[in-house]
Amino acid sequence: MVKDLQLVVLAGCAGLLAAYVYWRAERLALWELHVAVALGTVVLTFANDFMGPAALYPVLYTWIVLYAFYFFETRWALAHVAFIGLSYGLLLGFEHHPSPVTRWLLAVGTPTVVGLLISRLLARLRAEGAQAEQRAYELRQSEARTRLVLDSAPDAFITLDADGLIVTWNAAAERLFGWTTAEAVGRPMRALILPAESRDRHDQRRRELMESEGLVSGRMFEVEFQRRDGSTFAGEATVSKVEIGGELFLPGFIHDISERQRRQEEREALLREQAARAEAERVAEMVSGMQLLVDAALAHRTLDDIVSDLVTRVRAVLGADAASIYLANDGYLTLGATSGGSRPDSLHPLPFGVGFPGRVAESREPLVAHDPTPEELADPALAKLNLDSVIGVPLITEGDVTGVLVVCATEPRRFGSEDVGLLRLAADRVALGLDHARVYEREHRIAETLQRSLLPDHLPELPGLAVAARYLPAAAEAEVGGDWYDVIPIPGGNVGLVMGDVAGKGLAAASMVGQLRSALRAYALEGHQPAQVVDQLNRLFWTELGESQMATLIYVVLDPADGSVRWVNAGHLPPLMLANEQSPRFLEGGRSVPLGVMPFPSFEELSFRLDPGASLVLYTDGLVERPGANIDDGLAQLPRILGDGPVSPSELCDKLLGELVPEGGAPDDVAVLALRNVPMADRFSAEFPPQPEALSSMRSLLRRWLRHADGTDQEIAEITTACGEAATNAIEHAGAGGGAAFEVLGRLHGREVDITVRDYGAWRAPREDDQGRGLSLMQALMDSVEVTPTHEGTSVRLRRTLNGSGGA
Amino acid sequence: MDDLIKLDTEQRGDLVIAHVSGELDVSGASGLGDQIFDSVPTSVHALIVDFSGLEFIDSSGIAMLFGLARKVAARRQEMRVVAKSGEPVARVLDLVDFDRAAAIHDDLDSAIADIASA
Repeated sequence: MVKDLQLVVLAGCAGLLAAYVYWRAERLALWELHVAVALGTVVLTFANDFMGPAALYPVLYTWIVLYAFYFFETRWALAHVAFIGLSYGLLLGFEHHPSPVTRWLLAVGTPTVVGLLISRLLARLRAEGAQAEQRAYELRQSEARTRLVLDSAPDAFITLDADGLIVTWNAAAERLFGWTTAEAVGRPMRALILPAESRDRHDQRRRELMESEGLVSGRMFEVEFQRRDGSTFAGEATVSKVEIGGELFLPGFIHDISERQRRQEEREALLREQAARAEAERVAEMVSGMQLLVDAALAHRTLDDIVSDLVTRVRAVLGADAASIYLANDGYLTLGATSGGSRPDSLHPLPFGVGFPGRVAESREPLVAHDPTPEELADPALAKLNLDSVIGVPLITEGDVTGVLVVCATEPRRFGSEDVGLLRLAADRVALGLDHARVYEREHRIAETLQRSLLPDHLPELPGLAVAARYLPAAAEAEVGGDWYDVIPIPGGNVGLVMGDVAGKGLAAASMVGQLRSALRAYALEGHQPAQVVDQLNRLFWTELGESQMATLIYVVLDPADGSVRWVNAGHLPPLMLANEQSPRFLEGGRSVPLGVMPFPSFEELSFRLDPGASLVLYTDGLVERPGANIDDGLAQLPRILGDGPVSPSELCDKLLGELVPEGGAPDDVAVLALRNVPMADRFSAEFPPQPEALSSMRSLLRRWLRHADGTDQEIAEITTACGEAATNAIEHAGAGGGAAFEVLGRLHGREVDITVRDYGAWRAPREDDQGRGLSLMQALMDSVEVTPTHEGTSVRLRRTLNGSGGA
Repeated sequence: MDDLIKLDTEQRGDLVIAHVSGELDVSGASGLGDQIFDSVPTSVHALIVDFSGLEFIDSSGIAMLFGLARKVAARRQEMRVVAKSGEPVARVLDLVDFDRAAAIHDDLDSAIADIASA
């Protein structure tokens, strides 16, 4: 009984220990377990010692061995078995239990074998568990990767099962539709993300896919989808049919194409806008083209220029291949200008009603013709062009057809009603332009006529002087300017030369020239000095003609008897003097202000001598001024051109114009006046108008010639007086006869002066008092006087031999 | 009046002096004669035509001068002409024996003196 109690206590200790280890095994360190197991071995060994040699008790070691094999690696378990063997061996040795070997083998061997088997079993179980865990891990990884791929896909990825229920729903789908994966999976797609109107179509497609033979990959649909918030969008679904484990699934990507559509729309809108802008620009261009037409139409130019300009612009505005303007005149059309086409060699005027333009003119309505035949056009100008489409529009001014505007296109252009409308607009402007040009041309002609009428149509015959002048109007399109010149024989024999330039153009300038010219002539004929004449002109200009006007002027008075010149320069370019044996030089200095700039300027009067043989050249700035060039360069050319050139005034003028005025005219009017003091020769002849005013000129010439002949002052005076008597008679004869000029011829034979005064009037016998006195004067003053009346007129020959030398 | 010829008249006491300058031909002669005659009031004693400044005279000028002399004489007024001898004008006056109609003096002073002494 006592032994049993001891055993129970020991076994209880061992049981408590075992229980402790069992419960705490997870939290005990390995060495603590070893100690606990070893302690168990010791307790059981003591228990066996108490219980004596009963063969059954050593079986209790099985507990220890099983624990050791469970908790420790096999070799450590075997170490505990060895410890058990050692402990029990010692017990058997000390206590001398019967058949110790058998007992030891039974007590140690049996649990060892059981332990080893359990250990093997455990090892296999562990290995299998690890493998399973590995597989599970790999699966998890794979799934995560797929999930990641699907979730990172920009497009929604949805898989449906055969019933149309959602089985896969990726992150993009969450974002796109607003449903989480948890919410979406397991629900039917049709109800979740399709608007009601798309559902039947979806079902139909799904059925078709499911029923179709075999698998499907990447079929695309455009579908209207619905988001969680009810908004819809256009999506593109790319759907496949796959079989997994005998089940059919429909995986598909859904791509939101609303952005793409929006961009597409934007692009389309942009294209539309661009088209609209292009249209607007085209219209703007057209409008500016029209404006150009108006500008061209209103330009101050000749009809020819304006027509060819307009036709070019009309062609540009319409974008046509060719354009022509026909001008109407008395029921006929003539081709004014054409652009684009080749101008036919010869063109006959086209009567109204004949040919395409003629029909337009007759109908007074726009006409359009497609693929016209040459017969239909009936106009070589058009027929030559090989046209596919033609529009003709009448040009109408104040109810009259003034012309026809025709534009032509070749393939593939076809004119439409829009083109007709545009051409009508253009035609209005062209008609305006033509009208304007015609009015302008008329005005231009009037101004030109006026201008021409103001210039001397022929220069006076100036005995002993040669004078020539040229006036070139500016190139055709420019207006008539205010250039003018004049040559004024002043009673007493002097000659006035004028070269002037009134600022401004056109009619106003021309009429200003008219006033200046008559005023200057009046002042000059009154015999005022040049400075006085110019001063009076300025006063007139300032007070009468308006302060806004300005004019430059050179007024030169030459006394042919001795070549003395007095002159005034009111702001004009300097005259050029060509003296004998000297290079040409400008007469600088004495340049006063132009007329019309100050009320009381002082005009400086200068003088010089124009020797026999020398020339004076006056001109306007149009001769030397060129756009973009320095006027000094132009001036510098004059001496060069006339350097060793011709001597006669008309040749001087022609040479200047020839070298300085470009082909087609200068940009401004050009006036040139040249005068030469012709050296006296032994012979002279001059014609004078049969007016008393001519007498002084004749005397002036005669004095010069007699000075040339070395006559003394007295001889000169007497011969001049005698010739004056003959000339006075000649004027009287002409007055009765009809106004023909009389001639004075002078010849010098050695020292004998031989002068003939011839008239073509009716001879009258000298009256007793006056004319008789004239004849007797002649006879008294000359060596010989022969009067020869003929049926044509009277000739008086006066001769006298000179004695002294005049010292000239 | 033509600007070839220029006329200035002055009255000195009972004298009228007509200074004529320029050139006297048919273009100015008749007008000048009337002008001079009109400038001579009937009250004055004499007319002196001063040709000192005249450069040229022809037969129409002479005719004018003869006519003027006649009209002045008809009013019983004296007339003298001043023209420097040797000059072209005096030469012409000499040729036509103008001194038959009126005395010709070299200078104005002698003409005035002549009238005063007459």
